Amino acid sequence: MTSISEQLFDALGVMIMGMGLVFIFLSMLIVGIKIVARLCKSEIQPTVAYAPAPVAASATTLDPKLVAAITSAIHQYRAKD
Amino acid sequence: MEGLMAFWSETGIANFAPDQIFMMAIGGLLLFLAISKGFEPLLLVPIGFGAILANIPNAGFTDEGGLLWYAYHVGIETGIFPLLIFMGVGALTDFGALIANPKTLLLGAAAQFGIFATLLGAIALNLVPGFEFSMQDAAAIAIIGGADGPTAIFLASKLAPDLLGAIAVAAYSYMALVPLIQPPIMRLLTSESERTIKMEQLREVSKKEKIIFPLMVVGMTILFLPAATPLVGMFCLGNLMRECGVVDRLSSTAQNELINVVTIFLGLAVGSKLQAEEFLRIETLGILVLGAVAFSIGTAAGVMMAKLMSKLSGGKINPLIGAAGVSAVPMAARVVNKVGLEANQQNFLLMHAMGPNVAGVLGSAVAAGVLLAVLG
Repeated sequence: MTSISEQLFDALGVMIMGMGLVFIFLSMLIVGIKIVARLCKSEIQPTVAYAPAPVAASATTLDPKLVAAITSAIHQYRAKD
Repeated sequence: MEGLMAFWSETGIANFAPDQIFMMAIGGLLLFLAISKGFEPLLLVPIGFGAILANIPNAGFTDEGGLLWYAYHVGIETGIFPLLIFMGVGALTDFGALIANPKTLLLGAAAQFGIFATLLGAIALNLVPGFEFSMQDAAAIAIIGGADGPTAIFLASKLAPDLLGAIAVAAYSYMALVPLIQPPIMRLLTSESERTIKMEQLREVSKKEKIIFPLMVVGMTILFLPAATPLVGMFCLGNLMRECGVVDRLSSTAQNELINVVTIFLGLAVGSKLQAEEFLRIETLGILVLGAVAFSIGTAAGVMMAKLMSKLSGGKINPLIGAAGVSAVPMAARVVNKVGLEANQQNFLLMHAMGPNVAGVLGSAVAAGVLLAVLG
């Protein structure tokens, strides 16, 4: 049976080492996440910049007059039956 | 007449020992807390009922060949139940908040100080006559500070199986008491102005990052801490099934049916360890006290770390979110949100607290791995 002070000393060692390891492990994870985020960002950005364009284009090309014409045409077609 | 006597000698009334009645009362208390007070009902109902079953004289539930005996030996002694639960928790966890703000991993690391400080405390308790904790016992008790039930049960089953009942009950009771234990510590350590700090909105995280994350975590565990791979590996498997999007059926089973089935048996098996002769010891009292200390120190360490990070970042981090660094997902994050709202009605910290909260799960799994590697 080892003395209590010896055990306390061991526990202190485990404490310092354990906290150190937990911090090192999770810090490495932070670095990993940042690297992955950077890699993914460079891939995402072009698609993000590209994506809104067609939506905006289709919105502007739809002329209100044209919409009105189509609407009235549909209306007339339905009224025939 | 002889038949009647034989029947009488087999009844519960004739065979009750006072300590069995006391343990049944504890089982009843757990049921009461679960049903009337809503404390972790999913676990405390099976644990409480298991405690009652385990203390019935002449029933043989916990004797070799009995139902509870099998549940314990198949599920807990082998470590299978806590690991299956961990897979389910992985499937339930969204790491988005953590990936968006990876710095919060440091908060999850700081809160593990509760575990290691309690290791010291448990050994120091040996100075009190009547306590004789070995280093393994101390480590199993200290993991209560990680506020993570499956991790605590897994480590206790490996390092100190005789203390498992008390450790599991302490771990789940304190998790249920998070809303009572944490707020006073959080208010004590932070100023009013710190609590009102608003945090920037988190960026959106792509699906690809979420898929890579569990693979990266498991890869690092394989390289640096293989002792933690049972816990971290199952956790990451669950999370990968959730995020990859091609096995929704498996993911949904892991987070619903499977985790529910395992929870029932895990609860019963833990309850079976609440037998009078194993539970009614002075050590149990020590474990309950040390568990509360571990939890409080973990909360305080998380808040202090968050304060430091707040200072270094020029007041961009609300120190309250450090308290969520102890795991107890998602209860601790909800408590942070509540305390934040008390200081500022418009301040919603829930998403910001989820980062350190899930970091705490990883942190306590890593801490458990370290303890297993050193003492196992």
